[in-house]
Amino acid sequence: MASKYYDIDDILTEEEFAPVLFHKPANRVTIDPSAETNYVEQGAKVELPFWLAHELHLRQAVSINLPASFDQKTRLEIQADAACVDLRSRCPYFYEFGCKLQPLVTDRTLGILLSTAFKIRYKERLTKVFTATHLTASKFLPFLTIEETNLYEAAHLSMTAFKKWRTGGPRFQRASILGRKRKES
Amino acid sequence: MYGRKGYQLVKDFASGEKGQLKPFNSKLFDETLEECEQNHHLIQSLMRKMQQEGLEVPNNRNADHYGALVHHLSLIRNKRCLMAYVHNRADIVRDLAWRVGLELLGLPPEIQEKLTTLEKDYFKNHSVAVKSYMGKVGIELNVDMVPPKDPYIKVRVVGDIAEGIVMNDKTTNFARHSMHFLKRTDAEPYIARGQMEELTG
Repeated sequence: MASKYYDIDDILTEEEFAPVLFHKPANRVTIDPSAETNYVEQGAKVELPFWLAHELHLRQAVSINLPASFDQKTRLEIQADAACVDLRSRCPYFYEFGCKLQPLVTDRTLGILLSTAFKIRYKERLTKVFTATHLTASKFLPFLTIEETNLYEAAHLSMTAFKKWRTGGPRFQRASILGRKRKES
Repeated sequence: MYGRKGYQLVKDFASGEKGQLKPFNSKLFDETLEECEQNHHLIQSLMRKMQQEGLEVPNNRNADHYGALVHHLSLIRNKRCLMAYVHNRADIVRDLAWRVGLELLGLPPEIQEKLTTLEKDYFKNHSVAVKSYMGKVGIELNVDMVPPKDPYIKVRVVGDIAEGIVMNDKTTNFARHSMHFLKRTDAEPYIARGQMEELTG
């Protein structure tokens, strides 16, 4: 499997915050906003970015709890109507972050939550790319996570390429890397 | 602190359009390097403190150890962000060479000003390597990026092209909005740069 070291999405996913409980104290570290000094007490509860939480967990310095994006409120909303839940505002990398959290937290139902939500949303929303009008599409696009948006755009690109192939048009294009055409002034 | 600047740098890259460059953000880049320096400084002072207390650094897991660990992890994180920033930009620079042209001065000026000197050198070296490879193999690899159908195509000039370009032993005048019937391989680089557009039908 190709390394994700340079992958921008992977870096941004690991920046999502997770609540941790410190089992060991740490000196000269100012990540606990409730502490007055630059010291983290044993037993302190702090929100850390995932990359830090994960590494400290591997060294048994902290234990990780489920972030608010995966809490009971979200679960109930997904059970009620997964297709309409605004997952992007809860966590733009909902699925990737959930997958990374799953082996580290004690909650066994996280995996099922992720796969159920994705299955329902894929079936209800992402398959409608080809038939939805622009108006209906623009309503639910802001609710999609980054992963879902990538799938949506890939489908859209394929559809556009197919239509272009059918109708035939100029095949040589200005290199997309140069950005949008600017109107000559 | 703790990977913030590295995160901002990566976010800055991600906020551009996919596959396109923004100007090199030297300010954020330097700020990230500075944050790394701060982390390094704190690690050293914590380790000195542990040595002064007569404790061996790897074996004693006290508060100083974990403090140094957090700073070490933040430094590694910033390093990852810096590397990813430069790596992803380098990918786009290489892509530029293949899609637009192998000459640095042939790139539109608005692209050139987004590159740093090091990136321009990288572009030049990459072009030289590609050209020498194409010379040895004996095939021009950067033509026919779209599978060809006709040897000749009709084009209209949309951008400004220098006067008096020699094509097929006659100097053609590429005035704006003039239409020409050119060999596909000749017209391809101009279309890629946006100076001509293909006419169909």
